Amino acid sequence: MAVEYKTLHPQKYYNYYLANNIRPDGREFDKYRPIVLNVNSVETADGSAICKIGQTTVICGIKAEFCRPKAETPNEGFIVPNLELPPLCSPKFKPGPPSDQAQVLSQLIADIIKNSNCVDLKDLCLHPDKLAWCLFIDFICLDFDGAIIDACIIALMGALKTVTLPTVDYDAALDNKLVNIEERHPLKIYSTPVSTTYIIFDDKYILTDPTVEEENLCSGLVTIVLNADEVCCVHKPGGTALNEGQLFDCIQKSKKRSKYINELIVSAVKALN
Amino acid sequence: MEKGELQCKFGILSRPDGSVMLSEGNTTVIAGIYGPVEVKMQKVLIEKAAVECHYRPKSGLPGVEDRFYESIIRNICETALAASMFPRSAISVVIQEMQNSGELISCAINAACLACLDSGIDMKCMFAAVSCFLGENNQLSLVPPVNRKEIKATFVFVFDNICGKIIASHTDGKFSESLYEEALYICMNESKNIFSFFKKSLFEREEKGKKK
Amino acid sequence: MSTKIGDFAIPGDLFTEIKSHKGVTIVGPGLRRNEERPNSLFITQPGKLCFKAPNVYWIEGRRKRYIPKKGDLVVGIVTKKAGDTLRVDIGSAEFASLSLLAFEGATKKQKPDAQVGDLVYAKLLNAHKEMEPELVCIDSYSKAGRLGLLSNEGFLINLSPLQANRLLDVDNNPLLRTLGRKLVFEIAVGVNGKVWINAKKTKDVFTIIKSLELAEKHSDKDIMHSCRKIK
Repeated sequence: MAVEYKTLHPQKYYNYYLANNIRPDGREFDKYRPIVLNVNSVETADGSAICKIGQTTVICGIKAEFCRPKAETPNEGFIVPNLELPPLCSPKFKPGPPSDQAQVLSQLIADIIKNSNCVDLKDLCLHPDKLAWCLFIDFICLDFDGAIIDACIIALMGALKTVTLPTVDYDAALDNKLVNIEERHPLKIYSTPVSTTYIIFDDKYILTDPTVEEENLCSGLVTIVLNADEVCCVHKPGGTALNEGQLFDCIQKSKKRSKYINELIVSAVKALN
Repeated sequence: MEKGELQCKFGILSRPDGSVMLSEGNTTVIAGIYGPVEVKMQKVLIEKAAVECHYRPKSGLPGVEDRFYESIIRNICETALAASMFPRSAISVVIQEMQNSGELISCAINAACLACLDSGIDMKCMFAAVSCFLGENNQLSLVPPVNRKEIKATFVFVFDNICGKIIASHTDGKFSESLYEEALYICMNESKNIFSFFKKSLFEREEKGKKK
Repeated sequence: MSTKIGDFAIPGDLFTEIKSHKGVTIVGPGLRRNEERPNSLFITQPGKLCFKAPNVYWIEGRRKRYIPKKGDLVVGIVTKKAGDTLRVDIGSAEFASLSLLAFEGATKKQKPDAQVGDLVYAKLLNAHKEMEPELVCIDSYSKAGRLGLLSNEGFLINLSPLQANRLLDVDNNPLLRTLGRKLVFEIAVGVNGKVWINAKKTKDVFTIIKSLELAEKHSDKDIMHSCRKIK
């Protein structure tokens, strides 16, 4: 009976649960789903990770390639993140060029990387104006079940922390580079941003770490990215208006989670070595 | 601390249902709105109007970054417009960047609001966006610094005019939580000026329409 | 922020002093019920808040886009002919449908000869937001009255729906009457802003178009004043 009711009146179905301070999947409003992180999962990539938050699964692979720095920033390399939402991960997505949603999320990830300064682009430069690394960070979503940005950022940090770059001897005069594949060194990571997504349900409930069902029914979405003690992104793209108290409350909640996820990433990377 | 002067001109385009040119300091955009109009088969929603937004940069084709702005503006318009009054139709907001000196997103959002008001389409509330900049000396300012490199962080807040709640928030750069709070309150105060500017301009437009 | 009658209101404003007649209040365009607070209305369009005794409220906005309303008399352009129905552009979001049998004296065998591009003066039989608008060219007694196809010789101009409504308000706006005294012409004003004009001389048509365009920028008072001078 409950199944039929849910298909007919999904909003009401949720409201009954939420009125009793519980979500249909048994979580309380501010409880997260279990997170699984596996690093260095892809042998052929320079750094990689798989992150699962509940059912949401994102795989992240980083490939480093040589390139020439831009004339405006001669001593900086590049980071190019790209998120793919293939039809495999959700019936919402169709094959073909990247959807608007994929483009928007890719841009958000790029902004988070830039804002948090987790990688110094200057570290990626090998010789000013001549040679630099370009990190292609590709995300593929395997299962789309909400809070995709959170999963992407965890996978991103896991992957970045396992990136090793080969040593390069570059002779600028001859434009001759000697790549030593055997001798690899890790990339320096300066900080670990952690993102937390909240949704506003029925204009009054704020739920943490939503599933895709909740996201589809929600009236607003907030993503908060924290970087140790600093805030590096409060992204609320429209939706139901919140008052400042509710927004600050979300930031406070994110703080606790940020610590926990930091530990998770550290222990996952440690297990590798 | 004084914010760049706001100036707007309604109905500058003849074809759209509503259009406006808005300048905030040295940033200028043109916004036009069509709606409700016929909707494409794939996009039709049976319970409300499909809101779409097209953002055109000053030169070249829109890129991924512009898609990002588009999605923010689209979401805000969807929140503010009474879309459920026009099921199976589309409302399309088109924004053309003319000149950018820093507060482009907030200017584009404000222009979208004025264009909606100009068209007379039903709205649940108005919205106003305010940009705030964190300079090198950790001072918050509503005016963008001349040198872009001095900007440590940018905050854009969008408020509604019913209870002054936050519809949208977008940030750029790193900052502490207390700075975020401070920026929020500064922008909240400024948003009241923007709403009174909206009301004043609309009132002037109404008067002009009668007398001329 | 509470608004008063006659005030210029903007979306998001609240109107609280509602008068009702026998427990009924009629709410027109530009106003929306406030679910959180009963007995108050939200304003959804910028414009003047108007009231007509005993219980009718509406906002006089300056909307360009026509929203179909049941019973409106409109001028439309035939854009497609599919079997027995015509698709008519009346300036709304969706094309309206007009059955070829909804003309006076039309039968299955004898139908009016309507071509794509023709103009019709018709009445909205049905205008629900969930359905496509439906036009008819007959009244409930199957008589055409003044409805039907408009001659191909006339001219079509587009005004704002507000201006069209002002033209039709002949008591306060003597423009059409005054023009009628001076010139010989036929006119069909649709509340959707489409206006069809035909006269013997093309010059007269242009004079009328010019005066209608000019009138858009003047208040009712000014128009009445200028019309008096012509006498």
